[in-house]
This record gives sequence, C-alpha cells and structure tokens, in this order.
Amino acid sequence: MANYAHPEVLVSTDWVADHLDDTDSLRLVESDEDILLYETGHILNAVKIDWVNDLQDQVVRDYVGKERFAELCRKRGISNDTTVVFYGDKNNWWACYAFWVFKLFGHENCLIMNGGRKKWEGEGRPMTKEKPSFAATNYQAQDPDASIRAFREEVLEHMRANRPLVDVRSPAEYRGELTHMPEYPQEGAMRGGHIPGARNIPWSRAVAEDGTFKPREDLEVIYLHEQGLDPNADTIAYCRIGERSSHTWFVLHYLLGFNDVRNYDGSWTEWGNLVGVPIEKGEPAAVKA
Amino acid sequence: MRSFEEIAETFQLAEPEMRLELLLEFAENLPPLPEAYHALRDAGLNLVHECQSPVFLMVEVADGRVKLHADVPREAPTARGFTSILVDAFDGAAPEDVLNAPLDALNALGLSSLLGMQRTRGLSAIYRRVRNEVARRAETAAS
Repeated sequence: MANYAHPEVLVSTDWVADHLDDTDSLRLVESDEDILLYETGHILNAVKIDWVNDLQDQVVRDYVGKERFAELCRKRGISNDTTVVFYGDKNNWWACYAFWVFKLFGHENCLIMNGGRKKWEGEGRPMTKEKPSFAATNYQAQDPDASIRAFREEVLEHMRANRPLVDVRSPAEYRGELTHMPEYPQEGAMRGGHIPGARNIPWSRAVAEDGTFKPREDLEVIYLHEQGLDPNADTIAYCRIGERSSHTWFVLHYLLGFNDVRNYDGSWTEWGNLVGVPIEKGEPAAVKA
Repeated sequence: MRSFEEIAETFQLAEPEMRLELLLEFAENLPPLPEAYHALRDAGLNLVHECQSPVFLMVEVADGRVKLHADVPREAPTARGFTSILVDAFDGAAPEDVLNAPLDALNALGLSSLLGMQRTRGLSAIYRRVRNEVARRAETAAS
C-alpha cells in the first residue's frame, strides 16, 4: 500500500495485532452496519461506535453536534492526540463513515485497518467479548469542517457548473430502476435516477476480493482513465444515505490524492425527494476524451 | 415457546441497552436448521431478497399449525436475533396467532428507534414474508 497518496492512513491487520496494547496512545474503534456484531466478539481493546445511535442526531436529520461528538470521545477514552484506528463489517463502509465524521470534527490522527473485520476474522485472529473501559478524557471537538461535506444547494451549483459528481450506488439504482418491493415501493425516495452529469462508479470497484483496497494503479485505471475524473478538480461523491460515498471519499482523497473531495451525505434519500431539482435517468453519458 | 405478545412485553419492560442484550440472546439461540432443509438453503431458495444477508425462511402450515424454520448467518446477529424471536413465537402456533400479531413488530419490540430507519428495512421484509406465507398456506390448507 506504499504508493497511495497518503499511505500513512492505512494499516494492516498485522500492524493492528502488534499494537493491541498501545491503549495510551491508540484507540481501536469498531463501526458496523449491524448493531449487535461488536457484541458477538471484537478485537481486543476495541470500543464500539454505532453509526445510528452515536453519530446521528435522532431528532434533526444530521450528525451529532460538536458537543455530543466530544462527549462520545471522552467516554471512550479518546483524547485529541489519540490515534484512532477504525475497522468494521461490509468492507469498512461504516469504518469509513465514522472516520469521515471524526475528520468532520477535526480529529487529527485517523487510520483505517485495511480489509476490516472480515479480513481479521478470516485470518483466524483472536476476538473477545470483553468490553474494555478507559479513563474518560477531556476531548475538545472543533467546528465541523465544511471542506469535506456538501449540502444540497452546493450540489445544485456544482451540477450547474458541470463539475464532477460521483454516484457510487449500483448501476440499477443509478439508472433509476427501482426495486418495487411490497410496502416499500420507492426505497425511501420519491424519484429514481441520478444527479444530472454524475458518473456511476459503484463503491465496490475500489475493493479487492479480500476486502482490502485495490492497488493505486488499478484504482487509477478505473477512476482516472476509464471515468475521466481529475484529481485537481473539486469533486462530490454521493450514494443513498452517505455511507458508501464516505468509502469512495476515502479512496479519492487518501488513496488517489484528490485535493478537494466532499461527501454529499444527504445523498439520494434527499435529492430523490426534493421538489423541482433536475434528475436524469438511464445510462451514463460517454466519458469525454 | 412464548407468544409474540409475551416476548414483546419482555422487550418493552427492558431498558434500551438491555433490549440489545435480549436480541443477542435470541440470536445465539436460533435453533439449527433441520438437515432436511439444507439442500434448499444451499441452492439459494427461499431467501428473503430484501436482506443484505442471506436469510433463509421456510414457512409451512400443517394440521392447523405453523412450522417455521430459518437460518441466518452469525455475521448478521441483528437479523438472526429478530428471526429467532419469530421462530420462538410462531413455530407451532396457530396461523391466526401469526396473522393477529402486531403489524409493526419492530415497534412492538421497542427496537425501531434503537435500530434506526435504515436498518429496519430488511427486518420488516423478513416479517412480511412470514406473515404472507402463513396467510397463503393457511388459505390453501382450508380450501
């Protein structure tokens, strides 16, 4: 993983295994889609952060505020100078999501364990049900970093200016063919399709068979050569609720060195419900040479 | 075996954190899938497609009783726990007991807000599948 743009943010399962006892300076955080998975067994000394109950405000549709974020860190023994290593299920979607929220509130040292929980388990490494507890800290969070988060008005301007948008959902979601399951005919959105001009690069294309990120050369072939993205252009990624796009945000910024990438966390559940915003259906346009 | 209402009451009386513990206990206690159904499961039949994890459900009605067998991977403890509640409540029950159980099972268990909207979709699909299959098979058996 040495030739990524920011190789220092990725660590291997071996590295984590060697640093399990460094709890004074390092905190392992497991963040899963499944709310119970951590309880069935986790890496020694790892704490749990749940994307719904810990990171999202339950009244306003938003992330928790600065104070609640600080409180979350204090209770888990995370200081401002703690190195936080994230890992989780589903190819690290929620690990990337939590990583992104930590960056939003200005946490300096964030790492991802490449391959996530699946790789750790697959290698037969030990898991424990013992929940660690650490002395509370005096964590101080910063105001949200607007440079990594896009809001709908900004996305609309971005679209009108023909700047690059990346839709990381599956091709069927992108084309607007909704899966009509009984009682949930619209998958949480009133309209299907994508934001006009968006490229469709499903998040999974960044991941190798074993759940680790693909090598930089392979990622460049997909994102730069095939899809024509430009590392120097201001780029916005979105999906359905902002979790898969935080995975692609991570890939574009940390692995491929895009300077200016934002995650539109409102994503399709917001855009597909907005009155009057433009929507496109069908296949993506050919990439301009 | 307990009725769905009895299980729901236990959940409602528990603090939110305890509800998760209860759900985990159910996940750990899902009875193993009888050998006879392994071939169906391995062929990818009877899966609930709305779920991100391969949830296998076998619903039958015989002699006026529901037979419910299921298999859910251990890596999906939430879906496994919820399915295990349904097996506990409905395997051996009368079809009417299933059809008269609350429409919004997750809410009745006090789990909706804990899990969050986005996580309940697949679970609701499991529940709908059980109810729809019971309704259909009970009707076939009666006619």
